[in-house]
Amino acid sequence: MRKKTVLVTGASSGTGKETAKTLIGEGYTVPLKSEENMSNKGCSQQSRPGLTRRKFIQNIALGGGALLLSSRWGLFSMAHAGEGETEYSMILVDYNKCTGCRTCETVCSAYNHPKKVNGKLLNGAGNPFLSNIKVYAFNPDVDVPAVCAMCPDNPCIEACPVDPDPATGRRALYRYSKTLAITNDPSRCIGCGSCAKACRVGVIIPHPETAKPERMCTLCNGEPQCVKYCPFGALSQVKVDTNQQFYAMKPEKIAEKLIAEWYGVSD
Amino acid sequence: MTKKIYGYNGIILDVDLSSGKIEKKAINPYDLMNFVGGRGLGIKLLWDRLKDKPGTDPLGPDNPLMFMAGPFSGFPAPSSSRTCVVTKSPHTSPVKSRYAHASTLSFSNMGGFFGPELRFAGYDGLVITGKAAAPVYLYIDDDKVEIRNAKKFWGTGTDQFDKDFIEELGDPRFRTCYIGPAGENLVEYACIINTAARAAGRGGTGCVMGSKNLKAVAVRGTRQPEVGNHKLFLEALEEARQKFKDPGIYSNWRTAGTAAGLEPFSGSGIMAVRNFREGTFTQVDKIGVKASMKNWVRSFACYCCPLACKKSGKTTDSPFAGLVHDGPEYETGTMLGPNLMISDLKGILKAIYIADDYGLDIISLGNVIGFLMEAREKKLIDKKFLDGVDLKWGHVDATLEMIHRIAARKGVGDLASKGVKALAEEIGQDSHKFAMHVKGHELAAHNVHANPPRAMCYATANRGACHLNGTSIEQQNQIALADSIGVCLFAMGGYGLYGHDSVLIGKLMRGITGTASKDNLLQAGERIYNLEKLFNYREGFTRDDDVIPDRFFEEPLTIGDKKGAVLTRDQFKTMMDEFYTKRGWDLKTSKPGAAKLKSLNLPV
Repeated sequence: MRKKTVLVTGASSGTGKETAKTLIGEGYTVPLKSEENMSNKGCSQQSRPGLTRRKFIQNIALGGGALLLSSRWGLFSMAHAGEGETEYSMILVDYNKCTGCRTCETVCSAYNHPKKVNGKLLNGAGNPFLSNIKVYAFNPDVDVPAVCAMCPDNPCIEACPVDPDPATGRRALYRYSKTLAITNDPSRCIGCGSCAKACRVGVIIPHPETAKPERMCTLCNGEPQCVKYCPFGALSQVKVDTNQQFYAMKPEKIAEKLIAEWYGVSD
Repeated sequence: MTKKIYGYNGIILDVDLSSGKIEKKAINPYDLMNFVGGRGLGIKLLWDRLKDKPGTDPLGPDNPLMFMAGPFSGFPAPSSSRTCVVTKSPHTSPVKSRYAHASTLSFSNMGGFFGPELRFAGYDGLVITGKAAAPVYLYIDDDKVEIRNAKKFWGTGTDQFDKDFIEELGDPRFRTCYIGPAGENLVEYACIINTAARAAGRGGTGCVMGSKNLKAVAVRGTRQPEVGNHKLFLEALEEARQKFKDPGIYSNWRTAGTAAGLEPFSGSGIMAVRNFREGTFTQVDKIGVKASMKNWVRSFACYCCPLACKKSGKTTDSPFAGLVHDGPEYETGTMLGPNLMISDLKGILKAIYIADDYGLDIISLGNVIGFLMEAREKKLIDKKFLDGVDLKWGHVDATLEMIHRIAARKGVGDLASKGVKALAEEIGQDSHKFAMHVKGHELAAHNVHANPPRAMCYATANRGACHLNGTSIEQQNQIALADSIGVCLFAMGGYGLYGHDSVLIGKLMRGITGTASKDNLLQAGERIYNLEKLFNYREGFTRDDDVIPDRFFEEPLTIGDKKGAVLTRDQFKTMMDEFYTKRGWDLKTSKPGAAKLKSLNLPV
């Protein structure tokens, strides 16, 4: 049986801390965020309430078992609670097949940044700068596409300091109900950049002007274009498995390992 | 008042390294329509810039060094990665001319990611003139353009520089190209390298870059030009992608890259062997695809290319164990292999690596070393002439030593850095008969005896001997067009452009630019080819320069299936007469005729 983990935003201080303590007492694992992250500039003025004990227990009653706080905060959680752990899906890269052609970048961008032509929304022209999957090239030759790992413990959402919306339970950053992809609500986002800092892979990039997070994989609403169009079959949509060899690693780290493995050199 | 141009940025980034002036210049829409982009727009700009300066010193500040992207660059059409470097050649010369520095134009086409990125930054081309007082690199981040100090990088080989430079820039998403020590030292056939092994190899572009004290260019961009007919563009793009799903289009490239040619070209007697004396290499199995594959680690692709012809590998044994290398490709593997009678694959790979690292054009380099080996064998030169380097057929160590000396222009390397034409002039004794060049530019690894159309291809190529010139007029125009659009010639199977139909290319062009017709495009290819010829003619190149080395007429092949094959002078003359006639050029002088020029809207 897998350990039950509950994330409590604001667990390092105030009411959040109390909640966390209670939960730990009840046998849950509650990862604590570092103080450094908590005192991010620009975030400090935002309230970071943890859950009230009462609210939490209400939800436990609803969900009745193992649950992830993040999913509890999305509408999705209601539907899935009780089915055990939420299954996330992600884009998996087979580095042995990737040739670094960057077709994935262009189709991602084309789909997620459509263009209105004569009143109809068509795919864009595929500017790779706007892509949510980014290929990093290294020397000796290794290409590492970096894309959202859909981390089940939601470090980015957890880092979001915006109050949960009373109606939806969502912070500014949340899981989109259909795909469970990390999504930002720009109307609520304060552009503090905490999510980008918390992202393990480094895919979240704050917009240069608004500082609001971009480049999170959308899974193209269920039909990932990168998987469909990769000429080399290097990409697939799979169930998230945090034990996978290169899971949620930074591209430089992956490259380092592959270079050592393929070329027998460490550089 | 000005009509919006679709599919282009409409802007050239113009940098004068002497004054430090950086300008964004609008491109004449007429030039885009008539010369397309890439190689075509490059020759048009070269023509305009040197209008009143025939005989410009290619290594002087006036010679523009241009990095040109095509209208496909930066759009995700399959295999649309190419960048064309256009400049006046430092490595060609006519039989006679009134200008001391007379030379052809030079264009060199490279894959990778540079051209698309240049377009993302907002430019269709980059034109560099002048000469920096000290080593610099050019930094382009969208609108932010700076000339920066590169003193600490001067002298660094391309492999290490590739890594150091990205560290300096702080973002691996910068696309870079650069020269190695060979370009810095003005070796005439120095190349420009990107991604550590992709090269604008031919025609001495790296030498021109070195003459400007320009070590590197880095570019990063966030934009994309607007397409003219979005719906048509998407349709054509989908059609192209479907077409490239056919394994018949890509499988050979993915499996072996150009190295796939090693065995078959040897078998059919058209490989460059023993300085082009033979067309078949009896030990080809030692260096062919099967042997090479054992070293290959992975295949790599250029921007949006489904072919992935680049092979990267490592050697695990031999004195060169641990070497991380590129290739061999057909050209690099042949020119530093069979052409030098070297059958030690690991030795070839080491030579390729060193040449890439110095930034040398391996085709010219293989010619130079092959020529010296033959001159030594014939006792026209001795070991002393070679500064003690024991250059003999098949010797790997001597070959490596000679490469070091050429890059550094040390001793005999200084003369050798000027190519086989200069070497033959110095050595004399009829050595010009086996100095394998046309107009000073060395031949590629495709032999001629058993392949007569290749003779015309080499003799008429506007940048001097060039295997990518095309073996028919139709092909030449098509290739000029492809080089201008920014599409790779290896993708011709998918696009059906290359002497056949080009409906798909036309459709994509119409989608991207919103205008362009198929007929216009084919004519643009012809126009580009003719303007190049016009440039050369003005420099003093005539029919007397459209010749191939005597070897092909005088020394029949002695081994292989094509044993006995040789060209006759009559055969060559007939072929060339037909060429000039069909081109509408003067039979005696090769000057493009007034009628032809008029029909192409070119200056008479």
